[in-house]
Amino acid sequence: MLAPSDSVIALEDVHLTLGSAAGPVNILRGIDLSVAAGETVGVVGPSGSGKTTMLMIIAGLERPSAGSVRVAGNDLNRLSEDGLARFRRDHVGIVFQAFHLVPTMTALENVAVPLELAGRKDAFERAAAALEAVGLGHRLTHYPSQLSGGEQQRVAIARAFAPGPRVLLADEPTGNLDGDTGQQVIELLFEQCAREGTTLVLITHDPALASRCSRQVRVADGRIAGSEAEAEAVA
Amino acid sequence: MSDLALAFTWARRELRAGLSGFWVFLACLALGVGAIAGVGAVSQAVQEALQRDARALAGGDVVVRTSYEPAGPDQIAWMQERSAALSRGLEMRVMAGGADAIERRLSELKAVDQAYPVAGTFALRDGGALHHALAERDGRWGAVAEEGLLDLLGLAVGDPLTVGSQTYQLRGIIAQEPDRSTSLASFGPRLMVAAASVEGTGLILPGSLIRYVYRVALMPRADPLDWAAALEDRFPSAPLRITPASRAAPGLGETVGRLTLFLTLVGLTALLIGGIGIANAVQSFMGRKAGTIAILKCVGAPARLILLTYGVQTAALALLGIAVGLGLGTAAPFVLAALLESLLPVKLEPGIYPLALLQGAAFGVLTTAAFALWPLLKSRRIAAARLFRDMVAPAGGRPTLVEAGVIAGLLALLALLAVTTAEQPGFAVWFVGAVAAAFILFFLAAHGLAAVARRLAQTRLARLRPSLRLALANLSRPGAPTVSVVLSLGFGVTVLVAVAGIEANLGKTLREDLPAQAPTFFFVDIQPNQLANFRETVATVPGEHALVARPMLRARIVKINGQPVREEDLAENVRWSVRSERGLTYQAEPPDNGAIVAGRWWSADYKGPPLISFHAGIAAGMGIGVGDTLTFNILGREITATIANLRAIDFRSVRMQFSTIFAPGTLEAAPHTILATTRTPPEQASALVRAVSAKFPNISAVRVKEALESFDNLIRQIGNAIRVIAAVGLIAGVLVLASAVAAGQQARRHDAVILKVLGATRPNVLAIYLWEFGVLGIGTVGIAAVIGGTAAYIVVTGVMSLQWTLPLGAILLTAPLALAITLVAGFAGVWQTLGQKPAPLLRNA
Repeated sequence: MLAPSDSVIALEDVHLTLGSAAGPVNILRGIDLSVAAGETVGVVGPSGSGKTTMLMIIAGLERPSAGSVRVAGNDLNRLSEDGLARFRRDHVGIVFQAFHLVPTMTALENVAVPLELAGRKDAFERAAAALEAVGLGHRLTHYPSQLSGGEQQRVAIARAFAPGPRVLLADEPTGNLDGDTGQQVIELLFEQCAREGTTLVLITHDPALASRCSRQVRVADGRIAGSEAEAEAVA
Repeated sequence: MSDLALAFTWARRELRAGLSGFWVFLACLALGVGAIAGVGAVSQAVQEALQRDARALAGGDVVVRTSYEPAGPDQIAWMQERSAALSRGLEMRVMAGGADAIERRLSELKAVDQAYPVAGTFALRDGGALHHALAERDGRWGAVAEEGLLDLLGLAVGDPLTVGSQTYQLRGIIAQEPDRSTSLASFGPRLMVAAASVEGTGLILPGSLIRYVYRVALMPRADPLDWAAALEDRFPSAPLRITPASRAAPGLGETVGRLTLFLTLVGLTALLIGGIGIANAVQSFMGRKAGTIAILKCVGAPARLILLTYGVQTAALALLGIAVGLGLGTAAPFVLAALLESLLPVKLEPGIYPLALLQGAAFGVLTTAAFALWPLLKSRRIAAARLFRDMVAPAGGRPTLVEAGVIAGLLALLALLAVTTAEQPGFAVWFVGAVAAAFILFFLAAHGLAAVARRLAQTRLARLRPSLRLALANLSRPGAPTVSVVLSLGFGVTVLVAVAGIEANLGKTLREDLPAQAPTFFFVDIQPNQLANFRETVATVPGEHALVARPMLRARIVKINGQPVREEDLAENVRWSVRSERGLTYQAEPPDNGAIVAGRWWSADYKGPPLISFHAGIAAGMGIGVGDTLTFNILGREITATIANLRAIDFRSVRMQFSTIFAPGTLEAAPHTILATTRTPPEQASALVRAVSAKFPNISAVRVKEALESFDNLIRQIGNAIRVIAAVGLIAGVLVLASAVAAGQQARRHDAVILKVLGATRPNVLAIYLWEFGVLGIGTVGIAAVIGGTAAYIVVTGVMSLQWTLPLGAILLTAPLALAITLVAGFAGVWQTLGQKPAPLLRNA
């Protein structure tokens, strides 16, 4: 399948094979995926099917063994490691299941980092505003260990959105949170995407959550096993 | 199974994982223990050699000396009767020259009789016999000399050599002289002739400083101390200096003792710096074991058992480190023997010195205990649940009062061990106090640096440059290596700065200030009847010479206020003043240098009982003042004089100055010589020596510049020795630095990955580290420069009373070194994080 020209994300026949003691392991076996600007895509599939690997390839954190990857107009295969870092800085926000905040930085500093890297002079003002937007205006100087899990994930979301990325990648963002907290975090995520017009790719095991996306993609055994658009996409 | 047995079992299981992460721990301990044990072992080897060769070094079982006049016939007869062998000789400074006698050089003449040497072995380079070489042949006496004299005069074996009015034939080069002076001060190369030939030089003149030396070999089983006491009892008022062999080289023995103490304490400082490395290693080990500890606690292991388990592991590793250190200590005397033999007058026979090793081991055990205890104790008090979330505040909290007490007790034991094993406990107390104060100072300064970094990180300027802000934040974050690095590296750099500062100031004084004001020459042993002629001779040499001449006698202080002098009653810094004869003079007018600080100068026509003007500093050390009396032994006669006034004398000016000046009327009739100084234009210096020595073979010319140069050289050598020692501390510091940085590597790797996920390039991450270690290095150098500079200032102005110039050059030379060390060792610790691929770490989280 050829990617439409207005795709923000376009994967074509992406393979990833990793070596192991027991011989090569084919993790991705020819993924084709095209995501349009502003689209929200829920990625579902059993554990070990290759969902997270696909996300990492979109983020430029992993390089495919074969196939082409274009994100926000960049051919990721042509970028060096530092080029990939700059690409993420400019175009991609990521939210992890395990939050991945820098434990030795305060909430404000964590959010400011990508803005600082982008050379934004108002990094701290924007970071504070981003935290304010996720309801953590009163937690600016707290370290991650002083925050609850939900609060840490909200800091991570603020950090991901603060630079205004075109693409937001989320890997089971509620996996480490209880039901209510998870719900609040998801509301926040969709709200922010809608407000900023950000393209969202969301990995989840939760069918209800996946159904809130404008499209669901099923990954199985390293391939796209199916794709269906939801009529009631959340605005 | 008992707790202890279980702890051993668990410890053994964990140790199977190997020593990775403990290399710095082992290296710090081995280095410190090795330094202390090595210094102790080498020192014992040297002291044993000095004791073994004491007879040879002294020149006999007992050596008796008199000045100016030989011992009386009854004294010589007494010695002869009670000895197996007696060698009679004399020593003096002479000007020696070649056949034309135009170029003459100051040398130390030693005249010996046939019985020499009574102890030790004398050797000529060509293997010939000494007395054969010295004997009179074909009407000419022979002489042998150190190679240095031949070089100075451009002579070869076989050439004629002139001393006074005697012309010798140079017949050999001295290869080994067993009793060559062990003191540091030497006025020139050795020249040896037969005692019977000296009369012919015409240099045996009244008042000339000639030392008559009687070297005695005792009968078998006779005790040198008893023999010396008996001689003193028999001739109580004779001006004999009697030295039994065991006390022959007190200067050298004392020097070795002091050096041992100093090096031991420096070794201890290196060990303490290493202690920080030990603490870091245990801390990071316990950090890595947090999960295991949590699991053990979850399955019911009591805190005590966990403490015991990791305590046993730490102890096992400490034993390994100490064993390596003891191995180094044992090897030290064997490895260093050859080097030391070139510096010392003795041959070393190294062995194994259990006491030195025991001392090193004891320091090692106490240091490990003192520094490892707190990281170990912390694991005990943390709940299992918290161990999982322990990244920002690594096993935080402060020790309880009891825990702090135990750690303080261990440190106190360490200090006590240092003081009680020191030969000079007073110095050790001072040193331990200074090190403790320095540790506290560095600790506070390091926290200050972290606080400043935190402040700076929030400034607008830092925010304009993200890598700088992140670096500053890194320096002040919880668990940052800032304190460890400043404390460990700062010590070594401080010593370097202090040494460089002292050396720069002392060097400036010796090379610039002193030569500018000091005389060019001291002329010694001028006979009173030669003075007028001498003045005329000096005047014939072109240029201004600013000739100053004063009568000089040599005398020894034997009583203070009528009581015989006892060295132990005097302050340590003035004991030298009563140990041997010192020069004194007499004059009517007060000298133009040295202000009178107490009492009054006598009237120019004073004619009364003996009065003296005395050195205020020595008087203070003796606890006496104006009105007290001193008794001098001058050529065997005792003269008691009352102190009329005290002068503040600055010996550092190298001008002619006497600590004791008699009022006129007492000493004029005593045999004496004249001491003269000149300030001769440099281009006329050689001409002046030639003119004087051609006319007055008995007058010796001491060139001040050469004496200052040799002193300057000595200072540089001492400076280099201290630099080598500082290097041991620096190595320990570098190890600690690397360990402190490496301890946080896991966290850094995690941070680096997140930064990369957020778009940081490798140059971005590199810039952060560059800023971080750069600021840390500059901060450490700054702190060390202030503390080291202050220490140098105190030593230069307080102890040496010299003028202070800020040694900016020395600091600027030291700074890049410290900065380079910080950057290199810092990057060595973080290099791997730069290449860290994000994906694996993100998956495993």
